[in-house]
Amino acid sequence: MDKTKCTGCHQCELWCGTEIASVSKELYQAIHEEPQPVPRVYVEGKDFALQCRHCEEAPCIEACPNGTMRRDPETGLVYVNEPTCIACWMCVMVCPFGIINPSASMKVAIKCDRCKNMGHPICAEVCPTQALRLEERKDYRIKAF
Amino acid sequence: MEFIQKKTADSTLERFLTKAAENELSLVWDRYEGQIPECGFCETGLSCRDCLQGPCISHPFRDSNKRGVCGKDKDILAAQSLLRLVLKGTMVYLDQLNDFAKGVESGEVKPKNKGKTDQILKEVQNLFKDGGIQTKKELPKNLIRRWEETGISPEGISRDLFKASQKLEGGVGDVEEMLLWSFKSSLLGSMAHWLHGNLKRSVFGDLIPTKVEVNLGALKKGVPNLLLYGSFSLILKCKIAAEAKKKGVYVTGVCSDPLIPPFSFPQVTNYGSQEIPILTGAVDLIVVGNQFVNPSLTKIAREWEIPVIPAEGLKREKNPSHFARQIVEKAKKSFEFRRNLPKEIPEVKEVAMMGFSRENVEAKKVLGALNKGQIKGIAILSGSNNVKFTQDQETVSMAQEFLKNNILCLSKGEASVALAKYGLLHPDLKEKYCDKAFSNTLSSLGKEIPSILDFGDGEIVNFLFDIAKAGKKELRDVPIVAVFPEAHRSSEVTEAMWTVAMGISTYFWPSLPVTGSQKTMEALTKFCYEKFGSRLNIFTEKKIDARAKANLVLKALKGEEGFGMSGKPWK
Repeated sequence: MDKTKCTGCHQCELWCGTEIASVSKELYQAIHEEPQPVPRVYVEGKDFALQCRHCEEAPCIEACPNGTMRRDPETGLVYVNEPTCIACWMCVMVCPFGIINPSASMKVAIKCDRCKNMGHPICAEVCPTQALRLEERKDYRIKAF
Repeated sequence: MEFIQKKTADSTLERFLTKAAENELSLVWDRYEGQIPECGFCETGLSCRDCLQGPCISHPFRDSNKRGVCGKDKDILAAQSLLRLVLKGTMVYLDQLNDFAKGVESGEVKPKNKGKTDQILKEVQNLFKDGGIQTKKELPKNLIRRWEETGISPEGISRDLFKASQKLEGGVGDVEEMLLWSFKSSLLGSMAHWLHGNLKRSVFGDLIPTKVEVNLGALKKGVPNLLLYGSFSLILKCKIAAEAKKKGVYVTGVCSDPLIPPFSFPQVTNYGSQEIPILTGAVDLIVVGNQFVNPSLTKIAREWEIPVIPAEGLKREKNPSHFARQIVEKAKKSFEFRRNLPKEIPEVKEVAMMGFSRENVEAKKVLGALNKGQIKGIAILSGSNNVKFTQDQETVSMAQEFLKNNILCLSKGEASVALAKYGLLHPDLKEKYCDKAFSNTLSSLGKEIPSILDFGDGEIVNFLFDIAKAGKKELRDVPIVAVFPEAHRSSEVTEAMWTVAMGISTYFWPSLPVTGSQKTMEALTKFCYEKFGSRLNIFTEKKIDARAKANLVLKALKGEEGFGMSGKPWK
């Protein structure tokens, strides 16, 4: 996430809500769906698109009482195993970034799994300014420090 | 998200698509792919940029920003997105009419029918003041009554358009009111369009169906080729044609009027592929208007050393005769300069019979054929090209399906050029697209009738009113639909709106920016049906085959249950 490039256009939210969260997967239908789809990414303030950081030491995994919050051993991505979620919202409380959504209607914690089943995260794909980009962590560190 | 799978149905263009790629030129299709994904909020009409507190959106997936800063909700945002388009589209017709009327008033041409011309010019003035009372008198009384009851009967450009544009500034109107303002504006556009047609007829004489060459092969070898792009003053076009004839310059057009009696302008291609004629290297000078013209033209023309002259610049030459002389001289010079550059004109061209009007096709005969069941219904094909669809494919496939089902197809403007490229406007190719019986029915309607009838400006409406009048019915009761298979301009949206207001159900692709609001979508069908007896059908499914689309329309035309308008079969 490059804060200097984010314009707060909410496209990431819109397309995440459509591709990941909706039943129909089509924008025109997703807009009218009930319950309203919950995007896994949200724009914080005016120009900061925020989604799960997939922390190396993830507090949500530690707080989860029954192992619903898991880490994929291959990719290292943190995800919610939805069938076993008991909606205790411990993960929601401990997440330092506030990116886990408690879905009252579905009784399940909702968070970004970085589109693990799609190969490429939709938010990065639709970002018009490339503020959101998928890069190897090593590259990210070189740029950051 | 969607990517273009096939750029065009016109195989003549394929060679040039490769040529553009070899020259690293980006064409309309490449630029479209660069824009994907397009803004989802704008696409669904859930955004607003009307004031400086925004831009605002109505977020479909978040509760915190369901309304804009001023409080517009998704329904108002969507209805206003449509109103904005319609207003812009209405200006297109008013601009065309104003341009032409000013040109005629300047005395640069001698009208064929002086008395009628003066009368129309006066009516043009009245359109600004009272919404064309005289024009309204010529329309069916029931229609005017219905417009007055719903409050959409035009009351003058200065009142209606200014008020409609103020709806975007604020106020507390609901979705229905916004839609009615859109209809009201569009009706002014329809009157302007109609007056433009009448003025053209009184100045240049009646339209006579004329054979016009279509497609890239219409460019001529060995002579200077002057290409007119888009719509600009008809007087100037005429002057250019007259001057060019004297000086041996060949004039063709793209998205330009094919017929301005006594001149006819071969159509080199249509909107979607307007950049392609430049790639032939055979064009020597381009004169451009505003509507229909892609700004990309100048860049591509520069690559081929072709001068581009804007016809409507701020510092343009005001005298059309003088300007025309300058243009033709420049075309000749450019031809000499470009003499040794490689040229590649494909041999592909088609002949199209264009310019039918109520005088050449008898409404009574059409009515008779409708009553006998020889013609099952009437479809108006309109619109131009939209990069979201394979160029021409939707229009042509739908037309073919209609013809197979004995539907009388009328077309106008750019849709006609698209259809003409595939021989659908060729009088001798009727049997390729229609069965023997239907082909005979068409032949009986008039002289040299092609599979699809191209009508001039405002002539379709006259023709349809004639049919309705002869059958002692209203337009809403006649099995007519209007289809926009590949629309892209705001003026096409305006046209669709006035068609609905006249009682003709309309099918519009691609979807309009109202799909974010269920209420607006419903209003366009249910509310419109209550008020006008017709619907504006918009579809959200992106990938429907053109033949399936045609079947949807056919079902509605035949009055079969389950979809679209509940139009009753003609009895």
